[in-house]
Amino acid sequence: MPKFQIDGKEFEFKNGQTVLEVALENGIDIPHFCYHPLLSISGNCRMCLVEIEKMPKLMISCSTLAAEGMVVHTQSERAINARKAVMEFFLINHPLDCPICDEAGECKLQDYTYQHSIGESRFTETKNLKEKRVPLGPYVMFDGDRCIACSRCIRFCDEIAKSSQLTFVKRGDRVTIETFPGMQLDNSYSLNVTDICPVGALTNRDFRFKARVWDMSATKSVCIGCSRGCNIEVWVRSNEIMRLTPRFNPDVNQYWMCDEGRLKTWKHVNSDTRINGPQLRKNGTLAEVGWDEAYAFAISELKNFNKDEIGIILSSSASMEDNYMGIKFGKSVLGAKYFGYKSKVLKGSGDDILITDDKAPNTFGLELLLKSFSVRIENSFEQVMSLINEGKIKALLVIEDDILSGSEELNKTLDRLDLLIVTASNMNKTAEKAHIIFAASTYAEKNGTFVNVSGRIQRTKPAVVTSERERSLDGFEMSRLDKFGTEWDKWGKVNKIEARASWKILNGLGVVMGQKLKYNMAEEVFVDLSKTIDKLSGLDYRAIGETGVQLKLTNTN
Amino acid sequence: MHRIVLPDIKNLQEIDVYLANQGYYGARLAFQKSPDDIIEIVKKSGLRGRGGAAFLTGLKWSFMPKVTSKPKYLCVNGDESEPGSFKDRQIFEFNPHQLIEGILITCYAIGAQTAYIYIRGEYHKWIKPVQKAIDEAYNNGFIGSRMKETFGTQFSCDIFIHKGAGAYICGEESSLMNSIEGQRAYPRVKPPFPAQNGLWGNPTTINNVETITNVPPIIKNGSEWFSSIGEPKHPGTLLFGVSGHVNKPGVYELPTGTLLTDIIEKYAGGVINAKRIKCIIPGGTSMPPLKGDSIEGLKMDAESLRAAGSAIGTGGIIVMDEDTDLVKVLARMTKFYYHESCGQCTPCREGTGWMLKILKRILDGKGTKSDLDLLISIANNIDGNTVCALGEAAAWPVKFTIARFRDEFENRVNESIQIPVNNKVHSMRKTKNPIDNIEIR
Repeated sequence: MPKFQIDGKEFEFKNGQTVLEVALENGIDIPHFCYHPLLSISGNCRMCLVEIEKMPKLMISCSTLAAEGMVVHTQSERAINARKAVMEFFLINHPLDCPICDEAGECKLQDYTYQHSIGESRFTETKNLKEKRVPLGPYVMFDGDRCIACSRCIRFCDEIAKSSQLTFVKRGDRVTIETFPGMQLDNSYSLNVTDICPVGALTNRDFRFKARVWDMSATKSVCIGCSRGCNIEVWVRSNEIMRLTPRFNPDVNQYWMCDEGRLKTWKHVNSDTRINGPQLRKNGTLAEVGWDEAYAFAISELKNFNKDEIGIILSSSASMEDNYMGIKFGKSVLGAKYFGYKSKVLKGSGDDILITDDKAPNTFGLELLLKSFSVRIENSFEQVMSLINEGKIKALLVIEDDILSGSEELNKTLDRLDLLIVTASNMNKTAEKAHIIFAASTYAEKNGTFVNVSGRIQRTKPAVVTSERERSLDGFEMSRLDKFGTEWDKWGKVNKIEARASWKILNGLGVVMGQKLKYNMAEEVFVDLSKTIDKLSGLDYRAIGETGVQLKLTNTN
Repeated sequence: MHRIVLPDIKNLQEIDVYLANQGYYGARLAFQKSPDDIIEIVKKSGLRGRGGAAFLTGLKWSFMPKVTSKPKYLCVNGDESEPGSFKDRQIFEFNPHQLIEGILITCYAIGAQTAYIYIRGEYHKWIKPVQKAIDEAYNNGFIGSRMKETFGTQFSCDIFIHKGAGAYICGEESSLMNSIEGQRAYPRVKPPFPAQNGLWGNPTTINNVETITNVPPIIKNGSEWFSSIGEPKHPGTLLFGVSGHVNKPGVYELPTGTLLTDIIEKYAGGVINAKRIKCIIPGGTSMPPLKGDSIEGLKMDAESLRAAGSAIGTGGIIVMDEDTDLVKVLARMTKFYYHESCGQCTPCREGTGWMLKILKRILDGKGTKSDLDLLISIANNIDGNTVCALGEAAAWPVKFTIARFRDEFENRVNESIQIPVNNKVHSMRKTKNPIDNIEIR
């Protein structure tokens, strides 16, 4: 392989790699604003200027191809002075509003100001003013003063979201960003521009002014909005989710996620509709009860039915662990024969970027499970429903799915049931009809695994504390504030939802009804289930890690 | 005296007159030779670009790939937006057919079948005669598919005028290409260079109008004839646009190496009221200005001017007499570059505005001595760190004017009595953009 030098060290490179790419690969941080690994090179910020021997001018390392024998200096006096100069130019008209800027704490300009600027301003003129608080679209707010015109957002729309909606207008230091006439920044991926914006010019209208970056803990997890399973971070302050951001995974979502996933997959976690503790139907109305009472009531009720009279609805949105325990409880404890799950495929709702037609994150995994237990998959849900209509199934256990949503005609079907038990995190139409509701944890409150559309198994981790979790052995991803919480951070004092993971609820019922194994942690459930599915054999949570493991697929999938 | 680009022939812009004076004979000769021969002739002639950088034209043509599956293009740069430069419009008006003939020969040499003449938007008046000439040439079978019959060659090409919308940056060759493509006229990061990756990603050569217009006479008369005119290292004639405090401003075609003092005294009629020259810009405002007392014996060609600490640029000579206020001149020039900076890259986008604000403050009598060093420092920070040469174009006048006329600037800031009030951003929030208020006439 050809070699060249950066700061006296020799590095190998592949032909076609730029100096910056090789430097970043090898842990040399050449500062840069406009360069983004997945966007085209624009070379406009001039921050990555380096000195290259035998070249008269400083060169931008983002566009300069590495060449055999090239000698690059990133720490020479000329290179350092150029960086100071560029930082000074960036800062002269940039507002000094970090204290009220959402980007503060994760701002490239702020970081580089500390690292590469001269530390004081020689600028004594009046700063330029531009448009502030411009809604570019439904989700993104623009602050012209803060913009450093790096064009990342424009290139993102053109190249990744494939919908050209943003453009520069005006010239010189009047240059600013607008949507094309009659357009809005409303593509399905618009909020990614707030992630790649190196300053606070583009902010998330849903998140802005809600929390400081350093006041939140960020937990690595997976989006449950569709079967893509984009890797995310769940940002929590005071035990409330404030926002989701995409997390880099080259095999799934790169740096991106869709707006739908970012905004609509977590509001229920903090919502008023959360079911706080188990509920029983007494005299026709649902009433909150303790866990023991709910368990006892459920067991005594379930004993009234024959094996053939019990149906179980699993969920393609629930984790592997929850579904596994649903099948196991159904088969070995209740002896149930009829299992089903409701498909969440919306034909035509996907695109060729990230969004898939299947709005459930774990269909692939659920089908693997069902197959390994030789349970019917095709039309399984319709079969269960028609058996209820025929009066053959009289008791139904629904795990984490609102089967009535979008299927109002099933109202009458469910009315025929003698017993409806649901595990649910939020009140919904199905839960309203239930005789027993077990309060279930959301994906943001528990460990779990999901298998995405291409057969990649990935993990969610608890980011929000339920009262169950406080005593859990199951690992939390701790942030500094979680460990050393300040008096302004209220997470230790906030109300915690009284909810348990569905697998734990079902395992609890099962143990009382004679199931042998008691599981304490989600990982125990997973290790157990991994033994029943060949494709998962040998996996545990550590092996799945932060970015997941691609399962070996065969044609029979 | 030789006049190559603008011969002294009446109504040469009419195709009949042009044809009667060996018009399109150069193209006829060229098509009998091989393209490589043409490039060789132009190389040997020593013709250098007339757009500012004085790069060897034949060498530039030879960068075009010989074998490619892609179409090749020629762009003729008639954006002519350098302040002090007004030579190309003389060609548009008085000798458009020689330009067209030059384009045909150039296209043949580089293997292009399409040429775009990029003319700045402000030149409405000069677009018409060029379009008329193109139409006539088409009608007479000198351009387009009928070339094959006219010249008995397999080669043919088309010529289109692309009208700019009036931006200085479009004269930068990669911006010009973006502008033709319909993109925002941002200069491109180089490499790749236009010969590899130009218009729509295809091999492209960009030449100045005057450069191209020199080509037919070279083909007709041979490279030795051309290289014997003027200075050997920068041969031929130049169109000198003389403006400022002279009695007869205008465009003068003179051999390279003509004395600057001769141009002013013999041709441009001397300085108005016979005043002394304080400052002279030899090649358009982007080029470093020279002190009036340093031009004795200075020859006007690329090498001599480089040795004198300036550059030939576009040959736009601006003469300023002893009464000129150079602080005001520099502020006005900086305002131009501030206004025309495209805003793509940071040093130029931010630096031009900053320099203007300081200069405006000095003009208002609020300058300090440290402002002068600050201005030079800002200019140095822009110089060499930008995507395109507009960075240098904006930085050089500031750097060199202050360095060469430091006394005048120091006197001005020493007269300043008002103490500047620092950053008033908060109280200014409700006003318009403060820089909009800067009026320099």
